[in-house]
Amino acid sequence: MEYWSRWERAMKTAIPLLTVFLLSLIGTSHGQEFRKEFVDPMPQDSRSAAVKVKGGTMLFLAGHTASLPQVNVDHGNFEAQFKRVFDKIKTTLTQAGATFDDIVTMSVFLTDLRYIPEFNKLSKEIFKKGFPAVTFVEVSHLARPQLIMEIQPIAVIP
Amino acid sequence: MKLINLWVLAVSILAGSAFAQEREMILPVSQSAYSQGVKIKGGTLVFLSGVGPADEKGVLATSGDFPGQVRATWENMRRLLAKAGGSVDDIVTMTVYTTERRWGEIFTDMRKEVFKTGYPSSAFMEVRKLKTPGALLEIQAIAVLKE
Repeated sequence: MEYWSRWERAMKTAIPLLTVFLLSLIGTSHGQEFRKEFVDPMPQDSRSAAVKVKGGTMLFLAGHTASLPQVNVDHGNFEAQFKRVFDKIKTTLTQAGATFDDIVTMSVFLTDLRYIPEFNKLSKEIFKKGFPAVTFVEVSHLARPQLIMEIQPIAVIP
Repeated sequence: MKLINLWVLAVSILAGSAFAQEREMILPVSQSAYSQGVKIKGGTLVFLSGVGPADEKGVLATSGDFPGQVRATWENMRRLLAKAGGSVDDIVTMTVYTTERRWGEIFTDMRKEVFKTGYPSSAFMEVRKLKTPGALLEIQAIAVLKE
């Protein structure tokens, strides 16, 4: 009799403990735990020195340009190309169930780095919950002669 | 009761080790200090902006001196990764942009001194210009922190 009551008491403690433990296992294996931190945010430069993320689903995007389907989009008009590129990025993100705020980093290839201040100004309209890490590089040519920018982002979807 | 506690502890440890993160360097190229691939599961990811040789105030103390700029760049990389709670050994991949590709060999030689526990995957390329005027290289890295 004594033995059974002790066993019962033990199980009363153990079962909730085990349940919580098993649920936490399911949680981690399904990637429900998600944390994101902006390291050294530099809002004046529209970027963060680094973005730290745990969990979530990764989305690797192609380099996006103003190219197709509108080949002749505004030669030399930086703002028009910027908007076109981010429209296309948005289409890709939406298809994957992501938003601009899920972008954690982007490689920005420009044919002229003097566009950086304008890029940063326009970026402020895109990112509302903190800026991704950004790397700017000036290249001599992109895939088509009229292109002045190509953006290759990585996103992590919570 | 004690037995059950022990059981819970044992299962936790087992489960923990099943989730523990392991990295595997695929086809390391030791003479150039990089790996063709790095395989890893889980962990906390850190996406870094391009890191160059300029100091925190944006001052470039080593103009024209490529090895000096490489050292300054790695110093900045160490500082930034430390802020993120990691170290250079956590880097899994990097893209190295340089304004002159002839420095590739110097760069890879110096990289041997940076990585002590295995080489990340890497790409090295010449670009026309970098953001910091006078900078000869910039490194864009992704790290996975050790748990």
